[in-house]
Amino acid sequence: MIGAAAQVPPPPTPPAAAARRHRHLLDFTDWTAEEVVSLLDTAEVMAQVLARPVKRVPALQGYTVATLFFEDSTRTRLSFERAARAQSADVISFAAGGSSLRKGESIRDTLRTIEQLQADLYVVRHPSAGVPHQLARWTNGAVVNAGDGRHAHPTQALLDAYTLRAALTAAGLPPAERERPFTGRRLAVVGDVEHSRVARSNAELFTLLGGEVVLCGPAALLPRELSRLPGVHLTADLREAVTGADAVMALRIQHERLGPKRLPSLAEYVARYQVRPAHLELAAPHAFVMHPGPLNRDVEVASELADGERSLVERQVASGVPVRMAVLYSLLVGKK
Amino acid sequence: MRLVLRGGRLLDGAGDRGVHDLYVRDGVIEGLDLGGAVDQEVDAEGRLVTPAFLDLHVHLRDPGQEVKEDLASGLAAAAAGGYGTVVSMANTDPVVDDPGIVADLVARAARVAGARLRPAAAISKGLRGEELTDMAALRAAGAVMVTDDGVPVADSRLFRSACEYAAELGLVVQTHSEEPSLRDGGVMHESAVSQRLGLPGNPDAAEAVMIFRDGEVARLTGARVHLAHVSSRRGLEVATWLKASGAPVTVEVTPQHLTLTDESLAGFDPVYKVAPPLRTADDVAALRAALAGGAVDSIGTDHAPHTLAEKQQDMLSAPFGIANLEVAFPLLYTRLVAAGELPLERLLWLLQDGPARVMGWPAPRLDPGAPADVTVLDLETERAVEGARFRSKAKHTPWEGEPLKGWPVATLVAGRAVHLAG
Repeated sequence: MIGAAAQVPPPPTPPAAAARRHRHLLDFTDWTAEEVVSLLDTAEVMAQVLARPVKRVPALQGYTVATLFFEDSTRTRLSFERAARAQSADVISFAAGGSSLRKGESIRDTLRTIEQLQADLYVVRHPSAGVPHQLARWTNGAVVNAGDGRHAHPTQALLDAYTLRAALTAAGLPPAERERPFTGRRLAVVGDVEHSRVARSNAELFTLLGGEVVLCGPAALLPRELSRLPGVHLTADLREAVTGADAVMALRIQHERLGPKRLPSLAEYVARYQVRPAHLELAAPHAFVMHPGPLNRDVEVASELADGERSLVERQVASGVPVRMAVLYSLLVGKK
Repeated sequence: MRLVLRGGRLLDGAGDRGVHDLYVRDGVIEGLDLGGAVDQEVDAEGRLVTPAFLDLHVHLRDPGQEVKEDLASGLAAAAAGGYGTVVSMANTDPVVDDPGIVADLVARAARVAGARLRPAAAISKGLRGEELTDMAALRAAGAVMVTDDGVPVADSRLFRSACEYAAELGLVVQTHSEEPSLRDGGVMHESAVSQRLGLPGNPDAAEAVMIFRDGEVARLTGARVHLAHVSSRRGLEVATWLKASGAPVTVEVTPQHLTLTDESLAGFDPVYKVAPPLRTADDVAALRAALAGGAVDSIGTDHAPHTLAEKQQDMLSAPFGIANLEVAFPLLYTRLVAAGELPLERLLWLLQDGPARVMGWPAPRLDPGAPADVTVLDLETERAVEGARFRSKAKHTPWEGEPLKGWPVATLVAGRAVHLAG
């Protein structure tokens, strides 16, 4: 297997110099559209690798990637680990649900322990916003944010952008501007915006790539202050949100976590905010349906849409590995 | 014991007294330019000599949390910051809700070289907000104030009763005015910044609502209510209205709320996590504007030390609080007075006469017979903040590396030099 892999050439396009400027992927604060587009292009090359009979390249041979999950997420963790192994990196998994951490132990103490394992890159998920930023200040390794509290989930936004760019191109609507592929496009994001790192990262990335974002949900879950972000609009009216949209992304609702002080009932939410076929008729003729998963069936999106031909839900999941391969590759190669 | 502060410029609430030698004997001020033999001489040439500061709001973590701070380190830190008297908060472990704990604090503090300690006691047993403490016994043991600081008193009935007892006993009630269910799990000011960072927000409405309740209960009961760490424009406006309409409230602001904004949280560093939270630049401007007028009665530090490990937890888990006793004056002198925003005399008033008036204590003066609690300030030398040099056990600070002027070079408490720089 290793021998066979060694004969397969590395990805033909090296990461753009611009992407190599970054040591970490924490959020998109310091990223340019050009750098993000180069990541999406690299992900396309990675997808070709994954389509080969031998789905492995030696690009990250000798590198070690550690996944540090302080919050359970099997899907995201497996996606990152697959992305690392497909490039022949060694993988260390550190799963620390709240209970296994000693009370009062600082995340810096935890990092000191894990750093003895000499990883080159840390993939970090944590229930508190900002932990990847804190670890990035303290480690010499690279840090990739795999979701921090309500703050950011940049690889999810990247895979959403990758999926949507490909779907629009396949529908005969390729980007008019290479560096700003979503110019003239509108994404509607529907649900519990306040608690959603997916909504925040998508708002940040989609507007960076030239698009407009409409955030929609019950007023108690729709922070007014987010409308100050450039290119972002807010509405509590689902019909208004989806009108003319190129894609409608429904967010996962965690009713048990929200409680009755924030959301009167799930039935009320479904009645007012579930995305249904009638809504899609108000959207652009080619409009797509997206969901970051895992889907609560017939809560956020009507099943006939989630399973329908305009759904990108499965393709979003499939995009996770090539996009994360591109992120690991771009942050690691040329750094050692 | 006789000591002289030689050649400093003397300034107190009664005015600028010019350059003199200030003689101190047996704990009290003896007089000016008396001459004669002394046991100790402190050079104050080119320096400002002024009554030591009063801080009505410090957390000394003693008893029970000595890993963060204790009486020795906390009172030494206060002296190094130019403070001669501090009021310690009751949210220790155990809580200061028992006369024995108050008496023990007073007794142990008397043996420490540092600022004088005047302890506050809790309003409610265990700070649980359910049962009143025995305020008469706490006062008899030495408590000068009651407060559940750190924990807002949610139950308005209990707060009313506390004010009624305190008014009768002549105790000042200090409040941590944040409505708990609006504050919810907020770890920073609720704003565009908190929404961008995805951190749970604590809106200024939580402060404004509770200041209104606390002020109206003060009016109802006649209790003297000191509103601690007012942080927002909305909160300040409510407090100002309460005062103007005759409610017996006084207002405290802190160095951090006068100098830092919610943008400081952008790097996700819990060193900036404090309650109430750092607000917006507009709130800072409102607080600063209020210093010059009568809207603010005192500057309290809310010195709140924690260990470095605690402050290196994640933003949700890390405790609230900034340790600042040793930078408070230089910070405010540099940012406000040296910058031309506030007269020196006003800043000193907010650290001397203002807090004394809040407590009903005599205004601190450099007159013969007055307690020899004096600080000597170097208003010229610029030096960068070095947390590592703090006497406090908390050596991490938001102002690390910042060049400041106005360093206290000597502090006398009861005629004894408890802080001497260099």
